[in-house]
Amino acid sequence: MNNSIFKIVLGRLSSGVSTLLIVSLVIFAITALLPGDAAQQILGQFATPEQVAALRIQLGLDQPAPLRYLSWLGGLLSGDLGQSVSNAMPVSELMAGRLPNSLLLAGITTVIAVPIALLLGIASAMCRDRLLDRILNVCTLSMVAVPEFLVATLAVLIFAVHLGWLPALSYVSTVEGVGDFIRIYAMPVLTLCAVLVAQMARMTRAAIINQLDSPYIEMARLKGIGPLRRVLNHALPNALGPIANAVALSLSYLLGGVIIVETIFNYPGIAGLMVDAVANRDLALVQACAMLFCAAYLVLVLIADLCAILSNPRLRHQ
Amino acid sequence: MNNSLLDSRRPSSEPESRVSAPQRHAKPFNLTRWVGATLVIFWLLVAIFGPMLAPHPVGALVADKIYSGASAAFPLGTDYLGRDMLSRILTGARYTVGLALIAALLSSLIGASLGMLAALAPRWLDESVSRLNDALISIPSKMLALVMVSAFGASIPLLILTAVISYAPGAFRISRSLAANIATLEYVQVARTRGEGKLYIAAVEVLPNMFHPVLTDMGMRFVFIVLLLSGMSFLGLGVQPPMADLGSLVRENIGGLSQGALAVIGPALAIGTLTIGANLLIDSLSANRGQQGE
Amino acid sequence: MTNKKNPPNILSESEQSARIHEAMRRGMSRRDALKTFGVAGLFAASTGGLLGSSLGYASEGTSGTPKRGGRIRVAAHAASTSDTLDPAKGSTAIDYARHEMFYNGLTEFDERLIPQPSLAEHFVTSDGGTTWLFTLRRGVTFHDGKPLSAADVVFSIARHKDPDTGSKAMSLATQIADVKALGSQQVQITLNSPNIELPAILAVSHMKIVPEGTVDFSKGIGTGPFRCQEFSPGVRSIGVRNDNYWREGRPYLDEIEMVGISDEPSRVNALLSGDVQLINAVYGRSAERIELSTGHAVKSVNSGNYTDLVMRVDQEPTSRPAFVEAMKYLFDREQIKWAVFRNYAEIANDHPIAPSNPYFFADLPQRPYDPDRARHLLKQAGVEGARLPVVASPAADGSEDIAVLLQQSAQQAGLNLTINRVPSDGYWSNHWMKHPLGFGNINPRPTANILLSQFFQSSAPWNESGWKNEQFDQLLTLSRAEPDQAVRKQMYADMQTLIHEHCGIGIPVFINTIDGRDKRLKGYDRTIPLGGFMGYTFAEHVWWDDA
Repeated sequence: MNNSIFKIVLGRLSSGVSTLLIVSLVIFAITALLPGDAAQQILGQFATPEQVAALRIQLGLDQPAPLRYLSWLGGLLSGDLGQSVSNAMPVSELMAGRLPNSLLLAGITTVIAVPIALLLGIASAMCRDRLLDRILNVCTLSMVAVPEFLVATLAVLIFAVHLGWLPALSYVSTVEGVGDFIRIYAMPVLTLCAVLVAQMARMTRAAIINQLDSPYIEMARLKGIGPLRRVLNHALPNALGPIANAVALSLSYLLGGVIIVETIFNYPGIAGLMVDAVANRDLALVQACAMLFCAAYLVLVLIADLCAILSNPRLRHQ
Repeated sequence: MNNSLLDSRRPSSEPESRVSAPQRHAKPFNLTRWVGATLVIFWLLVAIFGPMLAPHPVGALVADKIYSGASAAFPLGTDYLGRDMLSRILTGARYTVGLALIAALLSSLIGASLGMLAALAPRWLDESVSRLNDALISIPSKMLALVMVSAFGASIPLLILTAVISYAPGAFRISRSLAANIATLEYVQVARTRGEGKLYIAAVEVLPNMFHPVLTDMGMRFVFIVLLLSGMSFLGLGVQPPMADLGSLVRENIGGLSQGALAVIGPALAIGTLTIGANLLIDSLSANRGQQGE
Repeated sequence: MTNKKNPPNILSESEQSARIHEAMRRGMSRRDALKTFGVAGLFAASTGGLLGSSLGYASEGTSGTPKRGGRIRVAAHAASTSDTLDPAKGSTAIDYARHEMFYNGLTEFDERLIPQPSLAEHFVTSDGGTTWLFTLRRGVTFHDGKPLSAADVVFSIARHKDPDTGSKAMSLATQIADVKALGSQQVQITLNSPNIELPAILAVSHMKIVPEGTVDFSKGIGTGPFRCQEFSPGVRSIGVRNDNYWREGRPYLDEIEMVGISDEPSRVNALLSGDVQLINAVYGRSAERIELSTGHAVKSVNSGNYTDLVMRVDQEPTSRPAFVEAMKYLFDREQIKWAVFRNYAEIANDHPIAPSNPYFFADLPQRPYDPDRARHLLKQAGVEGARLPVVASPAADGSEDIAVLLQQSAQQAGLNLTINRVPSDGYWSNHWMKHPLGFGNINPRPTANILLSQFFQSSAPWNESGWKNEQFDQLLTLSRAEPDQAVRKQMYADMQTLIHEHCGIGIPVFINTIDGRDKRLKGYDRTIPLGGFMGYTFAEHVWWDDA
């Protein structure tokens, strides 16, 4: 069993490298299509042509594109993520300043959203087609259907402006004590949960119902095993694979996809960093962020697959 | 948001049989379906005839009050400039319904066909398509939209293309896993030994059995594309003014939220009823066919 | 307080050239000029007036007695990883406000945009504006303890001329021929041609003084009222009071934290919930909301910021004068002012000089909204019933909404405009001035001359419409050397008329800049019409009063 897991991990690592390479090429290609370059962005609306020319040489933008890509790749291989052209800081330093924030927000959201989603999904599956299921179905759908910025803005209006319970902005740098921590993270996490819980709960329900329809559950039912045990002991372990995958995919969204939450709550995370980088045509930074998102995605999917294998006896003995 | 709920079936994790189970919850009257169908038909009609029914031109300033409540002259109030919200929603629905529908259909179509082919194709082709697909999935969709619109400008075809690039990979993932699963089943093996061609196997043996999960997946993709459009309006991209899709209508009037303006509530409700309707309908169709209950 | 009185800024009457007299003959009378100004004109110094008194540092108006202490948090409308503490590179409100916190210039603007002494204790020109001598204030030290010397000033000014610096003020600096230190306390600046506005140019925030040889600007070492304690681009900065600040008693606050919140509703919500005490770039629609809150107030200033319709003379059909004129008649200015800006704007007359500017030409007849006339002109231009794209972007404030209204009125005149909205990302380098019909946005400039030189002179790189007018260029050059206020004023009136009648830009309104603040933040009553945040200079002047 350990051997096969080892093999899977190894295989994924090698295919992961090629995926990362593809991402870097795709990103390089589309950023090369963007009109304007870093020199123009840095100098802004009122740049003179000679300034732009001088800065291009300074930044090495006068080199042909393939050459720039190769030099970036060379740097990456030697562990150098390059420098941000917009403020001359090392990319690694910029990322290091933001990544812990993003991971923390993602972590808290995960810890809260996943159990709730599982609970709702399981409850929904057990009461399939009954009132509770229908109510949960419409509720989760409505939660998915509301634009994120509306949820966030509404939450701020209610909890920060009118009630004054929570801060409208999330300042990670001023956290003092547990109470403060909860107050600061309450609204961003609430907003993200509204989006993710619904997605994951729907998936959990679907996966469990899928199992409940299979013959072995029917068998268990005939043997007189109660509905709760049927779901928890029989259906759930088998449904864990798809559920873990759905969770992994939802969570990969928590790094790169949360730009709206970061903007509204002024939360210094990695998604905002990438939007800035695109706007500034800051290629090294764009690439680094894209690499990070892709790596995170691959790792999450890998973990999900390992979960599935470990939870499923039949897979374990393959 | 880039990811489908159903991007989950990987052959390695679920080798067990997917033979259809008997439907045990058939109902004589399916309320869900009726609600779903009514909402969907309503919004389709609005998308087709809405612009003709709009009482005012979509860009015209007709009121001397902004964010006003419901009145006889303006049943859905006025927006942030003093334009008639009813007219704006009637006109905007076409963009949301049309764009999201086309993009969702295309994503699922492209994703499903490529997924099925990859599952049946030689390993090297499968591998390379899957790698490219992983790469595309991992790029956040709003980031992609930002770059695409900056590079090529915001036109309707481009918006659709952006949505398809963002959401076809997810459809590909689920279809490939489904197809790979089905391909290992007995009846497919039998067809293989019979000497049937790959195209025949794909069209006759595999496709019908993945239809419903793909359909369900498309329902969620539809919701995500509606939301992507509204998310794009947050970043200042999207349909050209004076038109606006429903998400942009919410966005441009968000300043009225503090006074509970109808201009925010109206389009938000419109998005809600549209997406819920579409999914209820699809859910009930899938359940009724008794396939996999998703 | 500590401002010393200036020696006269010498511009001797005898040195006035024949050119100037000629211009005066065609111009307005001196009496008219004095009546319009009500004060002693922009260059009071030239007649021996005292500059130091008009700064108003001694009293802060109606706000009561300043208190020491307290910390505030300020949210600007944009912050990104390209935020910079290099004054030469500043490009957004948050950059400018930080530069005002951490640095000083040789001169600084007062409420009428008259340059006043700052690090330069006095300045004088001996030859009508070509050679200038700046004498530095003694006893000023940088935050790292190094005393200010002439070498720092030479470094700080000269670097703008080097394209490698990437200075945003390079186009202004090109007129500087030479900067050199005369001893440790005096700097001599020589210009290529006379310009009596040099003190104003040196007061713009890009020209702030940094220590000689600075390469890494991220520490924000300057002479300013606050010291930089923390600076993370795109996240926040913290400035703490500089106890050794040369202006005695200043600043009042202990600490100012600056952040950026790009989403306007979120910015307003952050103010109303008490998370921040000061915000800028408030929309007119939200200003009403802030006013309704008992603990908050708005400060609205019209500084001459404008969003303009750019009609390129080198493209079709915008090269046709009748078409350009027609478009100007199609602005329903009252409606734009009301609907787009909720009346937080002033009607403009298709020229860039705002009513608050001393050179504003009030007697120029206002161009009305007249679709019939526009229809006639469009017919004359041969574009009746045409379909034309107009490019708008969130990058140019309000341009999308103005475009929508313009589209409506164009319909009345039988012109079919389609709006092409493009993202703000890359707008200035890729769209601005590149389409026949598009929008631009010009922020306030400290002087009319800088504004006209940068955007209307035939040779200006940012001549938005590509307009070339010899008469205008001559007037502009003459006005730079013209010491007589009345004559200058008439020259400016003529230039405004030329732009109003012939130039390919349409300016519907001047947009107010609106700040929102917590009412406990006092001393916010100075108005420096350069932009929000009290012309970015709030840090030195405000205090916190909890009572």
